[in-house]
Amino acid sequence: MKVLLRNPRREIEVAGPITVTALLQRLDLIPEAVLVIAGDELVARDARLDDATTVEIRPVTSGGAPTR
Amino acid sequence: MKCTVCRGPAVIDVRRHNAAFCPEHFTVHGRDQVGRAIHDHDMLRPDDRVLVAVSGGKDSLALWDLLAALGVEADGLHLRLGIGDYSDESTVAARAYATAHGRTMHEVDLAADWGFTVPEAAHATHRVPCSACGLSKRHLFNTYAVDHGYDVVATGHNLDDEAAVLLGNVLRWETEYLARQQPVLPAAPGFARKVKPLVRLGERELAAYCVIRRIDYQVEECPMAAGNRHLTYKDLLNGLEHRSPGTKAAFLHGFFERGQDRFAGDDAAGTLRRCAECGAPTPSEVCAFCRLRARAAERT
Repeated sequence: MKVLLRNPRREIEVAGPITVTALLQRLDLIPEAVLVIAGDELVARDARLDDATTVEIRPVTSGGAPTR
Repeated sequence: MKCTVCRGPAVIDVRRHNAAFCPEHFTVHGRDQVGRAIHDHDMLRPDDRVLVAVSGGKDSLALWDLLAALGVEADGLHLRLGIGDYSDESTVAARAYATAHGRTMHEVDLAADWGFTVPEAAHATHRVPCSACGLSKRHLFNTYAVDHGYDVVATGHNLDDEAAVLLGNVLRWETEYLARQQPVLPAAPGFARKVKPLVRLGERELAAYCVIRRIDYQVEECPMAAGNRHLTYKDLLNGLEHRSPGTKAAFLHGFFERGQDRFAGDDAAGTLRRCAECGAPTPSEVCAFCRLRARAAERT
């Protein structure tokens, strides 16, 4: 399946089917720091992604100027 | 995974609440958390005129949307920071939301209105860009609110932001900053009230809220923030949260409930006067924003 990653933006291929949890483990990503989106929809950690799916792994951490 | 509320298919889990939600009930969860923060910290009163600081990112757009869902009709203020394509794309996202939802959004352009951009100010002061950016935002959001009759400035600082700031302040025992780290800063002469209604929601929840609500936000990270200390603290806290869900919320809300008032005596704001340049309250003859503007002007 095609997997879109960001910061920097890039695309990789990962063999499916695979669960969201296993995909994040394979990519060494902490689930707390990302969303997984298949098509336009959020998918839960136990969802199974097949080879035809296009997946975006979207980081959620933003870190501009903190306020004191 | 099933929705904790309706047992339908869940799209997101919130481990610190030991819960999972379908899109509909996740939206309710977001509203409940913001409503509870507003209530618990007495953030808003019925007749308040509210100004939302709108960057075009997930937090500020989710905040604007959640406030409206709770019946708070707020206007927006967007600052154009001059950080290349990143700022341009952020402005597009902010304008698109305002237009699509029929909201009033004011804009201030640092370059056109004040003669400098964030990268120029950072270069002129030899400080990290986030410092010039934060200083400009704090000054301009407050000044705009005071000058235009808004009672409250609402910002999109979330649970992760505030927990990371708290960690940084504790690691260095910045007691003055700890004294001022509150979800509400009351109004004072020359200052609008500042409120942070998202302190009960993490940034993963806010990004998920935007995806579910089909709110297009600026997804790319600010190019000037890469590698800053604040992001390092967030990474560390996410690692803790992964092993022990609820750690961030316990850290932050425990501080608000049982720790913050212990530092009240360390808030050394001192006597304020009016800035000789712009009239804003300041402990110095010229406020920090006007000094920043002058240094940037010297270099351009």
